[in-house]
Amino acid sequence: MSIQQLLNGVSLGSVYALIAVGFALVFNILKFSNFAHGGVMTLTAYIGLAAALFFSTWLSGLTLFAATLLSAALAGALVGIVLERMAFRRIRNNNSPVIYYFISSITMGILMENIVTIFASSTFYSYPRFFELTVVNIAHVNIALTDLLMLVFSSVALMILLWVLYRTRIGLAIRALSFDVNTANLMGMDSNRVVMATFIAAGILGGIAGVFLGINYTLYPQMGQLIVKGFIASVIGGLGSITGAMIGAVLLGVLEVTLIGAVGAGLAPVFVFIVMLVFLLVRPRGISGVIVQEKA
Amino acid sequence: MEYIFAVLTFTGITVIGVLGSYLVTGLTGLFSFGQAAFFSVGAYTSAMLVKNLDVPFLLAVPAAMAVGLLAGFLVGYPTVRLRRDYISLVTFGFGEAIIALLNNSANLTGGAMGLSGIPQYTNFAIVWGSVAVCLALAVGYKHSKYGRQCLALRADELAAKAMGINVNRIKLVTFLFAAAMTSYAGVLYAFYTTYVEPGAFGWIVSAEWIIIVFVGGINSLTGSVFATLLLTGLPEMLRFASEWRIAVYCVIVLLIINYRPIGIFGEFELTLKWLRQLGKKGVKAS
Repeated sequence: MSIQQLLNGVSLGSVYALIAVGFALVFNILKFSNFAHGGVMTLTAYIGLAAALFFSTWLSGLTLFAATLLSAALAGALVGIVLERMAFRRIRNNNSPVIYYFISSITMGILMENIVTIFASSTFYSYPRFFELTVVNIAHVNIALTDLLMLVFSSVALMILLWVLYRTRIGLAIRALSFDVNTANLMGMDSNRVVMATFIAAGILGGIAGVFLGINYTLYPQMGQLIVKGFIASVIGGLGSITGAMIGAVLLGVLEVTLIGAVGAGLAPVFVFIVMLVFLLVRPRGISGVIVQEKA
Repeated sequence: MEYIFAVLTFTGITVIGVLGSYLVTGLTGLFSFGQAAFFSVGAYTSAMLVKNLDVPFLLAVPAAMAVGLLAGFLVGYPTVRLRRDYISLVTFGFGEAIIALLNNSANLTGGAMGLSGIPQYTNFAIVWGSVAVCLALAVGYKHSKYGRQCLALRADELAAKAMGINVNRIKLVTFLFAAAMTSYAGVLYAFYTTYVEPGAFGWIVSAEWIIIVFVGGINSLTGSVFATLLLTGLPEMLRFASEWRIAVYCVIVLLIINYRPIGIFGEFELTLKWLRQLGKKGVKAS
């Protein structure tokens, strides 16, 4: 495999990492697969587009790009708050089984997709071109500028997230809650606030991921189904593990680029599924090896 | 009138699909995200057999169910050993892989363009007759030894094992039963619409079936059937607000999940005994 392909794979993987980490964050605490995250990405990608068109009269280039990314991230945080209040707060307070979270999240995902369809119709949109330059050449390796930006911004966002998780009070609270909700509650933690914070963080990541997906592909209401990639990456990395999800996502990106080269874009999902199945059978706890404990 | 019959026929086909989901998810507690894949397996196998190989329809039906069973075995055998949430992941991946496969073997399946020109062999009567048979089978299964063992292992797998229930075997049997039933629904679908395309069988469809099971009430077969009638009928009834109908549907589902988590019907089952009692009460009241 050439360095070129590796680089393409890694930059694809970095977007998957954003998706997978937003997904893993929620799984970490509430122990369910949050399919509403796909809806969050779609919604924020469209909001980002609206922001880009709105700001384009005053700004251009990098500042416009930054403004778009910032508005999408803010919108993501807001959507995260609404999502938690509307779909999960009540279920959580009722101590409902995990499966209800599933239902709620899928329904919310479909709802958000539908809202986008209503307001923006199902036509395809694309972001305005942010930069004149499209390809950067570093040491004889060509890399698309958007790929490079994707790599940089995703890495920075994930670094910030890791810093928040491991160096701040709220991060400590999130980790404590993901370990054991009841004990954390007994210690006087306000679990509602911590869960809210988690959804905000996931929303911000979803917003950034949405913008990048929108730039890389096109905007259409069903783009939220790319959440599947985040899901597979989380499985490879180990469900609920943040660092595992990142590693899994980068591996998935490289794997996909390689497979597309080897068997074509069409059959690649079949092989990805086989890899996922093998992972589940041979090493169900994923790469990270942290297993989310289930009651015996 | 034609239109209403078409809607009712589709609802009937969905009822059979939902029954499969009920057996796997409601009764056994396995969250199968790839149930619609069996639907596509049934639809495509029978359609290709009849259209490309001129196999008689009545022979194509068992053949499609057999292929559905085989697919169910290939997926089910390794996965029933896994933890519950992994089962949902694997079935989900299986569903997506099937769709990718259908999309990419264009010379056999027509790819994303779909397979058209399938003769129309099924109609309203056949579909609802099948619904009655499948419903009877599902009721029988629920009240059989297998059904009770399913309920036991759903409630507590470890305890069920300790009582001597072969957990993996029961899970696999239920999974295969549901797979065969869902492939049959797929056959009905293909020979009613005369056209199949991979896009109609995505994980969203499986998710919708599971949503229906939960809205009706996870412990109630009656609930599943009525919820299907309600939730597949609802979007049609809301057609005057065509843009908003799916949004309204989602909001209703969210409200039920949040405010009545046991589902509309809870544990209630519509039985002859209940009807008889209702009749007596009615007589007394009058």
